[in-house]
Parts: sequence; structure tokens; C-alpha cells
Amino acid sequence: MNDPEKGGEQPRGLRGWLDRRYQLTPLFEFLQHKEVPLGSHWMGWYYLGGVTMFFFIVQVITGALLLMYYQPGEATAYESIHFLTTKVPFGWLIRSIHSWSAHLMIIALLLHMFSTMMLKAYRPPREVTWVSGYLLFLLTMGFGFSGYLLPWNKLAYFATTVGTNIVRSIPLLGNWLLQVLRGGQDVSINTLYRFFAAHVVLLPLAFVGVIVLHVILIQRQGMAPPLGAKAAPRGMKFFPSFALRDVLLWLACLMVLGTLAVFLPYGPGIPGMDWELGQKADPFAPAYAGIKPEWYFLWEYQLLKEFPPHLFGLEGPQVCLFVIGILFGIWAAIPWLDRRAYRDRWSPGFTDLAWAALLFLTFLTLMGWDIGAGGAGEELTAMHNVARVCAWWTVAAAAVVVVVRYWRFQHRWFVLTGAVLLQVTLHGLMGLSYLVAATISLVLAAIAIAVSYFMGSTPEERRSS
Amino acid sequence: MTLNIAAVGFLAAAVLAAEQATATTDPKLAAMLEAKDKSGKTIITQDERTYFDSLNDHLKELLSHAVQKDVITRPEHLGILLALQLRPQKMELLLQNNCVLCHSDSEVQTPEDLFSLASNPQSSPAHMNLKDLVEDVHFRSGLSCAGCHGGDPTADVGHEFVKEWPEKGRIKNRAWVVEFCARCHSDPSFMRQFNASLPTDQLAKFKDSPHGQVLLVKHDDRAPTCVSCHGVHGIRPAKDPQSKVFAPRVPATCGACHSNSATMAGFTQPNGAPLPTNQLAEYRTSVHGRALLERGDLGAPACNDCHGNHGPAPPGVASVSHSCSLCHSSNASLFEGSKHKQAFDQHNWPECSKCHGNHAIAKTNDAMLATKPGSLCGDCHRQYAKDDPKCIETANYFHQTITKMYDAQKTFTAVAEKLAAKGLDTEPIDNQLTELTDTLKKSRTYVHSFSHDTFQQAAQPGEEAVKQTGVLVKKAREEYKYRQVGLAVSIAWIGLLMLALYMKLRRLEK
Repeated sequence: MNDPEKGGEQPRGLRGWLDRRYQLTPLFEFLQHKEVPLGSHWMGWYYLGGVTMFFFIVQVITGALLLMYYQPGEATAYESIHFLTTKVPFGWLIRSIHSWSAHLMIIALLLHMFSTMMLKAYRPPREVTWVSGYLLFLLTMGFGFSGYLLPWNKLAYFATTVGTNIVRSIPLLGNWLLQVLRGGQDVSINTLYRFFAAHVVLLPLAFVGVIVLHVILIQRQGMAPPLGAKAAPRGMKFFPSFALRDVLLWLACLMVLGTLAVFLPYGPGIPGMDWELGQKADPFAPAYAGIKPEWYFLWEYQLLKEFPPHLFGLEGPQVCLFVIGILFGIWAAIPWLDRRAYRDRWSPGFTDLAWAALLFLTFLTLMGWDIGAGGAGEELTAMHNVARVCAWWTVAAAAVVVVVRYWRFQHRWFVLTGAVLLQVTLHGLMGLSYLVAATISLVLAAIAIAVSYFMGSTPEERRSS
Repeated sequence: MTLNIAAVGFLAAAVLAAEQATATTDPKLAAMLEAKDKSGKTIITQDERTYFDSLNDHLKELLSHAVQKDVITRPEHLGILLALQLRPQKMELLLQNNCVLCHSDSEVQTPEDLFSLASNPQSSPAHMNLKDLVEDVHFRSGLSCAGCHGGDPTADVGHEFVKEWPEKGRIKNRAWVVEFCARCHSDPSFMRQFNASLPTDQLAKFKDSPHGQVLLVKHDDRAPTCVSCHGVHGIRPAKDPQSKVFAPRVPATCGACHSNSATMAGFTQPNGAPLPTNQLAEYRTSVHGRALLERGDLGAPACNDCHGNHGPAPPGVASVSHSCSLCHSSNASLFEGSKHKQAFDQHNWPECSKCHGNHAIAKTNDAMLATKPGSLCGDCHRQYAKDDPKCIETANYFHQTITKMYDAQKTFTAVAEKLAAKGLDTEPIDNQLTELTDTLKKSRTYVHSFSHDTFQQAAQPGEEAVKQTGVLVKKAREEYKYRQVGLAVSIAWIGLLMLALYMKLRRLEK
């Protein structure tokens, strides 16, 4: 358009000054022509990545402000945070926003990841985008885990002791990894130094690297068009329409963030989402009951509890870590495992896998929260009560999900959701052990999948074809 | 060189041979260890065998010796000894004591003379428990049976029963027991060998006490002797939690007699009234009893802390405050200098217990200071001070000041918690509340001065803390309001910006 070689008008002012030096015109033109595909699904899903990035930016800004006062050290870590929140003007607000934003970032990230999974946006040519997003998810977990210890308070100390202890179960490398992670046998001030370095240097460097790759890939390849359409039937201009909507949503998020920070400065007060400073860490004090990790680690914490001390000649936690490793591996490899989506075809099994994963995580997280333990006497009775109440909640949530999927989205493939529901019922309502219930459910699901495979195509497949 | 090697080899062989010899178990003992019952099951259990294997050679040798000398004749008897799982030092004491070895074999002893593992009083007397015996302070100090019973514990067999014990009626008339124990316990030079800090005046105190009078003068067998409180074969140091005279167990030990109306029948107080038997029940409900028995607070007094132990007696009117002042020194000191001291002396009232009681001392409350009918101060003043307006005014001042501080403390603590939950800095408020709490405690103590001015001086920092806390709470509330207003303004600005962007977006898309 404004190509000087074609006799177009040269840009003036600052843009012209920049363009003459850095030849930005192709970039501006790319952005001007860039479109966001519109399809049959709700457009709101496209904004979740941006919202996650907004919360990350808030983290960077508030983190930098916290760094101006935070002093890692046995006699200074807790004291500096205490000073910051009680004496420094708006120090309480910065810490509160940093903590709220961390949790909201994880919520936005999980929503973004699951929406990508449901919309099959990982299909070619966007496999690497999925993997980079998956890496960002892991790095965010790392941010949460390392940041938790930094205030050096009692809760953080014991939660980190329990959390880091899990790596001990990794075969062969466990003890060495524990030493590396803790900087010694036990959680000590050396651990704090390591976590601090990871939280403010290593993880941000890695995160920025991966997020740059993630964003470049998205900008280069565009957002995934709806399934089955090689190109989007219609589009929305990225600049200014989509970008301005993005900014509007970011401003709304800022409003929510500020309101939460002022009215709930220490979080909503539920276990795993509470950052009141409390007492200073004391490595010599005995551990107390009810230590729980952050809410996004609760499912792993609960799964570890469901494993017996020994299984298949190995230690229970080792087998559990192996299972968690497999689950994470499957999640990372989804773009290659989902062969139907790979061929741009409807893949109801993987949609169902996403819903099953959500229900699986919901059940374990609710149990990790001890929902339903109130008023129970004996420990075993309390465990059964928790499993029963959580099972009812999960079944109720699943019922809503299945009905909506069946009637609204006309889904007809519920094998994996059914398997999770069966496991929840067998364990929570019929009293079978978690692992036995899981084994029965997985075997039945495998049979159902095999039958479905040999019987031919699914109703969705017939419909889509 | 060759000779040197040969010498070293010879020495090594000799050492090995010596070790082999000591490690070899006596065949008779080995047979006992392997012996089986009629059902073919080994009599010595796995735990007992493991314990035996862990014994050092010296102890194994002592066991072999006892077996060879026929002091241990049966595997069941051996099993009883091994089942004790004693530490080496105690096991050595036991194996050198033929009296106990012989008296722990049910085959050769009658139930009355048998030390058994069973704690069932049906099968053997309570004082013949083998587990208790090996924990006995005398046994552990190496004072074996012979120390009291006479004879030679290392001799193979035979008794030379103690000469000092009365031959007749020694079970019924126990007065001799105190003198018998005092042979050692009243001898400072003898006791110094074992425990130099242990007093040696127990017998003198006992003789002077009502217990001693009843036993030694009136020859009444209901009176306790040393063994009534300390036990017989299982005597433990008073600091041992299992001792009958360990502080939390003292009330039950004393109450065993003093709560028993049959035992106490006929005993009277100095005024001639029957001696009550409800002291233990009252003590259990008191602040002292609950602290000691429920919370395990060893600083709380048991019976002996006020009454004495070896010379127990009720504290007289004049000495009540001395007993109490051992712990409550500030209260006692203030009372000593107060107007009430004189009045109490005139009435011959026991000082502390007149208002607080004795065995059933309840937790004090501020309502005691009120002047209305039914309150402690009011009722007493109406009767004895004839409604002196100055006294009533002082009591009212105490009551109002303390109540005001207490109410403020309660209210501000709840407010501070709420403000802290809102993320406000409540440290200055907490500091003032600490000052208020300390002053409140001090003021309650200073009531015992019964002086307006002295009390006012003590309460003044608390009254100041109430004012300061009020100011700080107001400041914190204003800060919270400022935050809310700040948020509202920010939201308004962001909202305006959003509106402007939205308008821009609409215009662009048109």
C-alpha cells in the first residue's frame, strides 16, 4: 500500500522514522491483515491465552516491586515480608495482587489448556504450540511451588517439606534430586535460596523464552480455525477489533484483581488458597496436622494418599509417580495421539478424554480438600465420609456435564467419562479401594473402546462425515 | 620374622578360642531354651529368645550359673526372667539375687511368696509384682532383699529372717515399720552414699504429725506408715511418674484414706467436728486440682504442698496465708499491708481461705468484687463493716475499673481480629492489648491491697491502654475506608477507560 517502490506514500512521523531504520512496514502489514477465525464455537475461548498473559505481566510487575523489599535469609525473609505488608505504603496491596494474580493465572491457564483440548486446536500444524503451552503450564506450576516457600512462614515450610519429599520416591535419582532441590537433607535456608533463585531468575527466563515462542507460533500460524474447515468461514481483524477487545477484557480483569485484593487480601480462606503470613518458619517445631499444598497440587497429593505403602514390589509413592508421569506424558503427546484430529476429523474420544480428565481431577481435588469430613469421628470413617460426599458432588457435576454435552453438543461418546464416573461410584459410594475401583473402570473402558473400534464409526463420525 | 608371624597366629587363635568358650551356652541352659511343651511349641517365645541372644557373655554366664546351681530349674521359669527384657545392669542385679530368682518360680513357691509377672491381685499379693520389684529404687541401688529381710542373697539356699521385725502381730500392728525404715533413712551418713539431697528427718516429722500420733501414741492401725504411701517392693523416687507420691498421684494416695468414711470414722478436727471426707472431691473441682490432674501442670499444688508430706497437718489460721504465699507471694504481700489484715486478725479468720475457700478453690471472677447482695465483698461488708460508704465506694471502684478494662479487652480483641483479617496492620493494637491484659492481671492482684490509691496506680496503664486502643482502632478503620474509596476511584477510572475504548472500537468497526 505505502510501498515506496510502488510509488506509495512513505509513512511520516515516528513510524516513518522507525520504518526507515528497521523496515517495519511488512510487520505492520502482517498485523493489519491478520484475522482471527470465527466459527461455530464461542469466541470467548480465544481470549483465555491473552488473559493468562495479562496475569503473567501483572506477576512480573508486582514481583519486581516485591523484590525491592524482599530479602532472602533466615533472619530477613519473613521479616521483610512482614515489614512490606505492615509498614510499606501499599505493600499489602502489591503482595495481595501478586498472590491473587498467581492463582487467577493458573485458573486462566487451565481454562485455556482445556478449551484448546476441546476445540482440538492442537491439530497440525499447531503441535509445537500445544507443547510450548504445556511447557508453560509446567513452568507455572514451578512458579507456584517455588514462590510458596519465599515468605518463610510455618505453613510454607511444612508444605514445602511434604512437597519436596515426593521426589525421594523417584527410582535411583530420588535422593540425589532431593538434595539438589533442598540444598541438603532437610528444607533449610539453603532451600529458600534455591527456590528464590528459581522463582526470580531461572523460571522467568525459561518462561519468557517459551512464551515468546508460543506467541510467535500463534502469530505466525494464526488461531486454529474450527474443525473440518481448512480456512475460517469468516474472520475478525486482529487489529484493532480483537486487540481492543483483549484490552477491554484485561481492564476488566484488573478491576476484579483490585477488588479481590482489597476485600480478600489473604485469599478466600480455603486450604491451598490462603496466604496469610502467620508465624515464622521454625525447622525445629513439630509438623502439625492439616498441611496441604496449593489447590492445583491437591489432586497429586490425594492420589499419593490413595496408593498403599507397597505395590508390585515397589514403594507405593514410586508407582504413583510413575502413573502421574504417564498421565503427564499422554497429555503432552495428545497432538500425535489424536489421529482423527490429525486428519482434521472429529475425535469424540479425545473430547471425552478432556471431560474425563476434568472429572478425575475434580474428584481427587475435592477429596484433597477433605470435603465432608466435618463431624466425623474415627479417621477411617472420616475418609469414607470424605470419599462418599466428594463422590456425590462429582457425580452431580458429571450429570450436568453429560446432559449438556448430550443435548447441547450432541455428543454420543462417553466411555471415558463413564469410566471415571464408575470409578468414583465404586470408590466413593460402594467403598471399594481407589485403585481397585480404577482398575475395574479402566478394564471396562478398554473393552468398550475395543468394541467401539471393531464395531465401526461413532455417531459423531457418521454425522461429521 | 617367622617366629613373629607364628606368635601373632598363636595369639589370634588363643583369642578366638577364648571367645568361642565364652560364647558357648551351657548345655543345660541350651536345652531349656529349646524345650518344647506338650503341643510341640517352644516354651521360650521368639521375643524372649531374641532378648537372650542379645545378652552379653557375662549375663549368659550368670544365667548358666543359676541353671547349674538349680536356682532356675524349668524353661517356664527362665521365660519369666527373660520376659522382663531388663537392661544389662538390672539383669545383672537380678541374676545375682538368688532370693528373687527362687521366689519367682511358681513351682517351688506358694502364691503369697511368689514374685509374678501377673498384675492380677487374685493370683498373687499386689506387693509381689516382679516388674515393680525390678524398678524399686532400693533394688536398683543394689540394696537387695537382704537389706530389709536379712540373710545372704548370694547363698545357695536358706533364710535368716530379719531379727528387728516383731515376731508376733507385725502384720496387725505396723508401728514398727516407721522405725524400721528410719534405721537407714534417719542416718545422714548412710543416706549420703545413695542420695545426699534426700532429707533424713522423716521420722521426726512423722512422730510430730497427727498420723504419727495416731499410730505411735494411740496405736491405731488405720494410721499410715511409710509403705502406705511409698509401697513395699515397688518403691520409686517421688519424681517418677509411676510413683504413688508423684505430684499428680498424691491426691489419690491421700484420698485412699481421707475419702474413705469408714477409715476416717472417729477422727475429729480441733473444734471437735468430724473430719470431713470430701477433700479429694472438692480438690478435683478446684483450680489447683484441675491444673494438676487435668492439665498435668506440676507447678500446681497437691495435698502435701500445703499440708506437708512426712509431717502432714492442717495449716493453722495464722499459717494459711504462709502456705498460699509460697506461690501467690504478691497477693499475700499486698494483703499483709492492707486494712483487711487487721480486721481478719480481730475476727481470727484464716486469711486467704476466708474468701477463696480451701480444698475447693474456684477460679476467681470479677463479680466477687461487686457490692450488690450475693457478691462476696458486698455481703461481708454489710455484715461486718456496717455499710461503711467509703468501703462500698472503694469496692465499687475496683469492680467498675476491672470490668471496664475486661470489657474493652474482649471487644478490642474481637475488633482487632476482624481488622487483621481485612489485611490491616494490627500490631500496634495488639501491643496495646498486651499492655491491657498485663494491667488487668496486675489490677486483679492489687485488689488485695484494698486501697483505692494503690489499686489506681496499678490500673492506670490499663486505662491508658484502653484509650490508646480506641484511637488505633479508629485509625485502622479509617485506613480500611481509605482503601475502599481508593478502590472505588480506581474502578471508576478503569471503567471510564473501558468505556472510551469500547466507543473507539464501535467507531472503528462502523
